Amino acid sequence: MAEVTSPYKMRPPVMQVRVEDSMDIMIVRDTARRAAGLLGFSPAHRAQLASAAATLAELVLKTGEAHTLHLNGVVKGMKAGLQISSETPWLAGVSANNVLVALKSKMGDLVDEIMLLNEPETTILMVMWLNEDRS
Amino acid sequence: MALEVLLVEDSKTQAAQIKETLESVGLRVRVAYDGPDGIREAMENPPALVVLDVKLPSMDGFQVCRRLKRNPSTQNIPIIMLTEKADPKSTMSGLREGADDYIPKDIFASEHLIETLQELGILE
Repeated sequence: MAEVTSPYKMRPPVMQVRVEDSMDIMIVRDTARRAAGLLGFSPAHRAQLASAAATLAELVLKTGEAHTLHLNGVVKGMKAGLQISSETPWLAGVSANNVLVALKSKMGDLVDEIMLLNEPETTILMVMWLNEDRS
Repeated sequence: MALEVLLVEDSKTQAAQIKETLESVGLRVRVAYDGPDGIREAMENPPALVVLDVKLPSMDGFQVCRRLKRNPSTQNIPIIMLTEKADPKSTMSGLREGADDYIPKDIFASEHLIETLQELGILE
């Protein structure tokens, strides 16, 4: 299985969910809540992260391909956060700007960062950072 | 004495299921079957927690949440929205109105509800 991509240093929790059908969306949502809880996010922010993870899983599932959604703790300086990511090889060569506009209009309120990385694999990645208001 | 939860849920079947979950962890449950009734119940006899559906007759859960969070006598009561509307827009609407959690009604709903009750200090 491919390694998880991130511009940030990774830390536990490290979780992944294989998404093959719509039932798996519920498992994604549950796993995201648990990962966010382990990092110390408040229930309201767990709900946001669960919604972001489920929405990304739904979007990728619409392509008809099974995929793996990764949930990882990440660190930037003194800040910790949760990263949600999924490889999206069918987006290789598509304008990153167009993809990001679409993703941000759907999920921009749920997370702090949405990125489309092209190396080593095309990957959609979202991060919410933990701060005092969110724990 | 057990803490009391006000459940605002228009479906009698779902209200009975949620009530059973809450009672199984030692809470007392009052049920209101629409938004205005839920607001009146919360103001007249403030509960320790409100569990609120979104799709309600005459006034939706977002409006109920907004009214409770703007009223000084009810603004400190934690509110958990428990709903079938799980899309990002609805989630953010609920949280922006002041809900303390927003839980979709799926197979994990009872588990998430109880975890949040613990997190909010409603359960030990």
